[in-house]
Amino acid sequence: MPVARDFVRSVTEETFDSLVLGAVDPVAVEFMSYGCEHCRLLEPAMQKVAKDLVSREAIFRVNIAVCQELAIRYEIEGTPTLIMFFNGNEVGRAVGPNPSGKVLLEVVTRPFVGRA
Amino acid sequence: MDQSLSKPILLFNDECAVCRAIAHWVQKSAERQAGGSSIIVRPIGDDPLILRTLNPELDIWDAYANIHLLMPDGSMKTNGEAVAETLRSLPDTRWLARSFNVRLFGWRPFQMMLNAAYTVLADMRPLLGCESCGIPPPWLRPFHWIAQRITGKYKPRNHTAATAHITVAHDLKIPGRSSVV
Repeated sequence: MPVARDFVRSVTEETFDSLVLGAVDPVAVEFMSYGCEHCRLLEPAMQKVAKDLVSREAIFRVNIAVCQELAIRYEIEGTPTLIMFFNGNEVGRAVGPNPSGKVLLEVVTRPFVGRA
Repeated sequence: MDQSLSKPILLFNDECAVCRAIAHWVQKSAERQAGGSSIIVRPIGDDPLILRTLNPELDIWDAYANIHLLMPDGSMKTNGEAVAETLRSLPDTRWLARSFNVRLFGWRPFQMMLNAAYTVLADMRPLLGCESCGIPPPWLRPFHWIAQRITGKYKPRNHTAATAHITVAHDLKIPGRSSVV
């Protein structure tokens, strides 16, 4: 059976700085855990939004069960938490967004709008 | 699929206290089987690709959501069916597992009861202590609460972020862009 393409790329403590903080384009990072039911509900919407925004915004996931240092560094108190980065700076954060594609699209793009 | 699969593999959530205790019991029971363990018990882990090597249809999200038993013939059993098959593989519970095959007017009443019981237990797991939820067992919660306030370290919690709230750093300007998306 063919494996569905994963549009949300995983980052770890080793790759976070280069892929997220070093990125010149907008980046959204989902702090999640595979054991988290809310993250599971959000996953289809995450895949859809990541696919729609593939050329404009990078969307990554951080598994906090593995990368606990990152969870502590960014004070993650609940999953899923989305943090939006631009030029290495946090420009927005959403905790437990509604698992619909429309809401999620708004969540991951709003922090980058109107900042001329 | 892993062709070397010679025994059923029971996957368990190692972040969940209940799942861990059950897996430990299954492991100990399986080791009592004459001629070696009748079942392999292993944690789900965090790598979706490794799971796919065990069975291409195995999704890590599903694996964490409910019990999965990977059979040597390449099939997968889940939920109550996986519990029944696991009990069938254990020397101490094989007799009990026969009841799940009993049919009455085309129905399998004992299997249906097992399915319902599994569903209830699966839903109750977080209340019984699940590290992946960040919720300790009830009797430890007061100590957990005090420890968090003393140390100032709040362990990440899952399952609880049901209400969305969004914050945007409005004072931050992104140079040269009015809208990037």
